[in-house]
Amino acid sequence: MSIIQQHTQATLSDAWRTINIDALQEDSSVNFDTSTLHPALPETSEAEVRQLTNQVRQLLRGGDAEGALRGCLESPVYRGRDEAKEAHLQTVIEVLQSIKASDMTPMLQRIYASPGGTECLDVLMKYLYKGMAVTSTPTSGGAGKSNPQTPTRMTPQQTGFSQMSGRPGGSSESTGGAMSVLLSWHEKVVDVAGLGCIGRCMTDWRKV
Amino acid sequence: MAAPEVHHLFHNPIADHSFSADRKTLAIARDTTVELYSKVGSAFKLKDELKGHDKTVTSVDIAPNSGRIVSCSQGKSTPVARNRHGVVLGGSAGPDWAGLGQAGVALTRMADRNALVWEPSPQGYKPTLVLLRINRAATFVRWSPSETKFAVGSGDRLIAVCYFEEENDWWVSKHLKKPIRSTVTTVAWHPNSVLLAAGSTDAHARVFSSFVKGVDSRPEPGVWGERLPFNTVCGEYLNNSAGWVHAVAFSPSGDALAFAAHDSSITVVYPSGPDQPPKAVISINTQLLPFMSLIWNGEAEIVAAGYDCEAFRFKGGLNGWVLSGTLESKGRPGLGEGREESALNMFRQMDLKGKVKDDTQLKTVHQNTITTLRPYETSGGSVRKFTSSGVDGRIVIWHT
Repeated sequence: MSIIQQHTQATLSDAWRTINIDALQEDSSVNFDTSTLHPALPETSEAEVRQLTNQVRQLLRGGDAEGALRGCLESPVYRGRDEAKEAHLQTVIEVLQSIKASDMTPMLQRIYASPGGTECLDVLMKYLYKGMAVTSTPTSGGAGKSNPQTPTRMTPQQTGFSQMSGRPGGSSESTGGAMSVLLSWHEKVVDVAGLGCIGRCMTDWRKV
Repeated sequence: MAAPEVHHLFHNPIADHSFSADRKTLAIARDTTVELYSKVGSAFKLKDELKGHDKTVTSVDIAPNSGRIVSCSQGKSTPVARNRHGVVLGGSAGPDWAGLGQAGVALTRMADRNALVWEPSPQGYKPTLVLLRINRAATFVRWSPSETKFAVGSGDRLIAVCYFEEENDWWVSKHLKKPIRSTVTTVAWHPNSVLLAAGSTDAHARVFSSFVKGVDSRPEPGVWGERLPFNTVCGEYLNNSAGWVHAVAFSPSGDALAFAAHDSSITVVYPSGPDQPPKAVISINTQLLPFMSLIWNGEAEIVAAGYDCEAFRFKGGLNGWVLSGTLESKGRPGLGEGREESALNMFRQMDLKGKVKDDTQLKTVHQNTITTLRPYETSGGSVRKFTSSGVDGRIVIWHT
């Protein structure tokens, strides 16, 4: 990494301000892998995701939407190939779209009150944000259609938040539909799990 | 519950506050000075200003028995440092002057972030410079219960443990460095003055030994460990979602540790013994905004406050903890409640602001983030009253 990150004519006299002094210290955070700070998470393969998707679809067909939602929130894909993460996101969105608006709040309250419920809603919030990031890019398809080759989706840090540059000119109708579903879920989740839930999404190092 | 006592000191943030043991003096970290207030009647009046830091003062602490005040700041401090015999150890000629020890050896370059110890004397407070040997801001300082040491957290990924060395007549700083990977945001002392808890932006709360030979007496073996040489890591804790740690605190017995993190959670750790996994690690995720500070009230209650501008009570023990509610009494007279509106006032509001109700006031006592909580009056193991200070420039004395 270059020590001096950038300087222009205007800032030349202030060039010292742009010296990245952290790069000069060997034990500073830029010089070590921050992922070593926490225990490694188990990796999820695409086969496992597919299996889970089938189970979830079965539950949905059986009319157990809450079980299906819980099922996908209890096994988020934190570590794995992008295709696996993407496939799981699509499963979550599929479940979310199949739930009626009037059922949302009671269902969220039941999940929140159950053991491990806060964690579940935190995971749901992460998928909502990821879903919004993905559906707002023009090339990505709508719900139910996995689209693993979308290059704009791949950000190096996988935060799921930084997709503003990919704001589309003409988004298809299905994208808009998915977005409105996600937004209404977002509102309901904040009602139940509070602002703390959004804070946890932002601080958490386990990205979906 | 009695109404809280509110003192609105000024319209600036209060970085930290500390009361003297007799509760007559209040030290406030405001901007680049430490302001001392004394109680006159029912109000606090500015009595003295301790000017020594030239950058924002981040933390201040009064030792209850000796009355010494320690403060630390984001930047270099430039008072003249002398030893007991009046020998100037360094001057304030510029950022590059050298602090000289008695042997005439340059201790360090002084483009440095340092702490000041203010010694009370009949002529006022006399500052003594403490060279922390850090290259980043000092973030947090606390006296040990024994008052022979203090610990300074810093952005230099270390904690400076400082103690007074008689033979050199000089405060010495020893570094707790490993395995801290990021800025230390907060520290808290164990009752035995040897163990030190620290929270960091690397999302870990850690417990270290800060044993200094000749200063500390050998601690009794306990749940945190048996042999405790300096920089022993007695515990390292991370909660699930792992946000920055804002506050740490030992329970009154010292056998449990609580910490608050930026994921709006508090986590309580019950260790079981050296090199063994803890008996219990209990994390409570809340619906609230993150907590900035927390204190224990006995072994079964924790009070925490932060970005929600109000204090919350947690209750529990080894078997689990729950958020039991706010300490703010709703419908309290005065603040927050809408006054009787005259028609004139109503139309004036509509004209000025385009709305009838003035909704710029929060319903809480504090009107901005609470940054520090401290016990104020204790009896036995429990806290009867505690104080809070925040970004809104208020000091509030609460009844638990």
